[in-house]
Amino acid sequence: MNALSPTPTKKYDLSFARWVYRNVDGGDRLALCMQCGTCSGSCPIGAQMDFGPRKLFMMIRAGMKEEVLSSNSMAACVSCYNCVVRCPRKVPVKYILQSLFTVAVREGYAQSVDSDNARFARAFWWSAAKFGRTDERLVTARFYFSYGLSAGFKKSMANLAIAKGMVKAKRMHLGLPHTCKNAGELRKILAKAAEIEARHAT
Amino acid sequence: MTDKQPQSRTIMVVGGGIAGITAAVEAAEAGYDVVMVEKSPTLGGRVAQMNRYFPKLCHPTCGLEINYQRIKTSKRINLFTLSTVAAVKGSAGAYTVTVKTEPRFVKPNCTACGDCAQVAETAIADPFNYGMKTVKAAWLPHTMAFPMRYVVAPEVVRTPEGERIKAACKIGAVDLDDQGASFDLEVGAIVWATGWKPYPAANLTAYRWAELPNVITNVEMERLASPDGPTGGRIVRPSDGAVPKRVALIQCAGSRDLNHLGYCSRICCLASMKHAAYVREQVAEAEVDVYYIDLRAHDKLESFMRRLKADPQVRFVKSKPARIEAGAEDNPVVCGENTLTRDVYAQPYDLVVLATGMQASVEGDGRLAGSYDDYGFVFTEGETIGAGVASGPLDVSMSVQSATAAACKAIQVVSGVRG
Repeated sequence: MNALSPTPTKKYDLSFARWVYRNVDGGDRLALCMQCGTCSGSCPIGAQMDFGPRKLFMMIRAGMKEEVLSSNSMAACVSCYNCVVRCPRKVPVKYILQSLFTVAVREGYAQSVDSDNARFARAFWWSAAKFGRTDERLVTARFYFSYGLSAGFKKSMANLAIAKGMVKAKRMHLGLPHTCKNAGELRKILAKAAEIEARHAT
Repeated sequence: MTDKQPQSRTIMVVGGGIAGITAAVEAAEAGYDVVMVEKSPTLGGRVAQMNRYFPKLCHPTCGLEINYQRIKTSKRINLFTLSTVAAVKGSAGAYTVTVKTEPRFVKPNCTACGDCAQVAETAIADPFNYGMKTVKAAWLPHTMAFPMRYVVAPEVVRTPEGERIKAACKIGAVDLDDQGASFDLEVGAIVWATGWKPYPAANLTAYRWAELPNVITNVEMERLASPDGPTGGRIVRPSDGAVPKRVALIQCAGSRDLNHLGYCSRICCLASMKHAAYVREQVAEAEVDVYYIDLRAHDKLESFMRRLKADPQVRFVKSKPARIEAGAEDNPVVCGENTLTRDVYAQPYDLVVLATGMQASVEGDGRLAGSYDDYGFVFTEGETIGAGVASGPLDVSMSVQSATAAACKAIQVVSGVRG
């Protein structure tokens, strides 16, 4: 697990901002943000975000860790890359949001942990790590039932027609999940990756 | 200070804009021979293309007139128009400069009567008006041209039209056999006053200047507002000629943007405020919105900004617009986030003006001056002397100061004080 980010305790506390600059992907360029608003103005779903990227970045600088990590802004990003292409300071906005999302999930902020994105990512990772492949039925089922039994049923029924169509078009198979060759090797690789990540997190 | 005495006491000034003119007259009036090389057919440069200067809103023709007089009365200035520097050899004190002159097809005895233009038919895009209108193939570059001489376009030279142009000249000033020239000059110092060009607005794809007729640039706005411009000084929409009631001025269109110009062009803030003043002067009911990241109105220029801020019909919006969309009736729609209120807006306008920045405009292979900064501006150090916007974004008054300083450095070089 990553080290927990520091929580500012006093006024003008830069500890969280500095931690973000160092530990978040693209954070080094975040320091160059000049608050022009191009990112928020370019964002197709900015209206659904608690805070647009520009404001979120200013809040990071202001040490508002709780408000930043408990916002829905990171999970709401649809990765359209308009902000990345247009940013006059070449701040990789989308990557920063993505990385902050990971931080929020690891630190247990419900808005991110319970988001659709995080649920789907967990289902996807479970399948990829277990079989070396993604199995459409199992990933979908895990994703749907992560919302609870009755919600899972409802979601499954609502998408039954699509599933049937996919089976008919041979885009979804019936039977045992596909697996990759040498699953043992894959597990070794993943174990090594986890070890490296743990080392970097300290 | 070097022991070597300079072999030539002549100073070459490359570029005939306000900086080049200033450097040349300052050096000449101090008693030094000056050779001026200008790429276009006339002196005046970008300044001649301006409607008015900020902050006093006076006309550039006035200052140009005075400087032209200084050139005319000086016996020491030798001017080569339509000329560029092709090569520089040697070092400070003893340069050999190869100058290449393009043919003008009009001899110095031209009286600028305009008979040739009467018979010319071929229309060519007018560079003086940034292609917003056309001129006939025999034309006077602009009303303040110096030298006051017509130019014949190379396109018509070997055509019957060319012959008609030649026949129309009563004093035989049209010379269709003009081949141009290439020659070497010995000079002791070179002042690079090669100036600037507007950053290409077509590169700012999100602002769609190339597609939307009512999105124009700041230099085009200057021509629109100029009495000798394509509309005779009336600010109108290019699409339908209507008087704009809602105008947006967008700052930092290209400047302060690592995808375009990584630096602040320094003049655009005041230039746009000047444009707001143009619009307010011409259209009483017009409302003007200025979109900005930061307003850079330093020292004496701040009072101009205060004057505009006091106008209830001029609104300053802190935001760099994200994009411009096509709206109904050819109205561009400016979209972005107001960074003070966090409102996301989509505002239609009659006319949108992009404050495109200044880019170094260098000649030849672009490395002749020897020393350049990371952005391509001439960097004054050692033997290299830059003047005006060739050395970085400056307004007119700062360009004149820079050019005077450059003339002083050049004089030090050719008099052996500085090597």
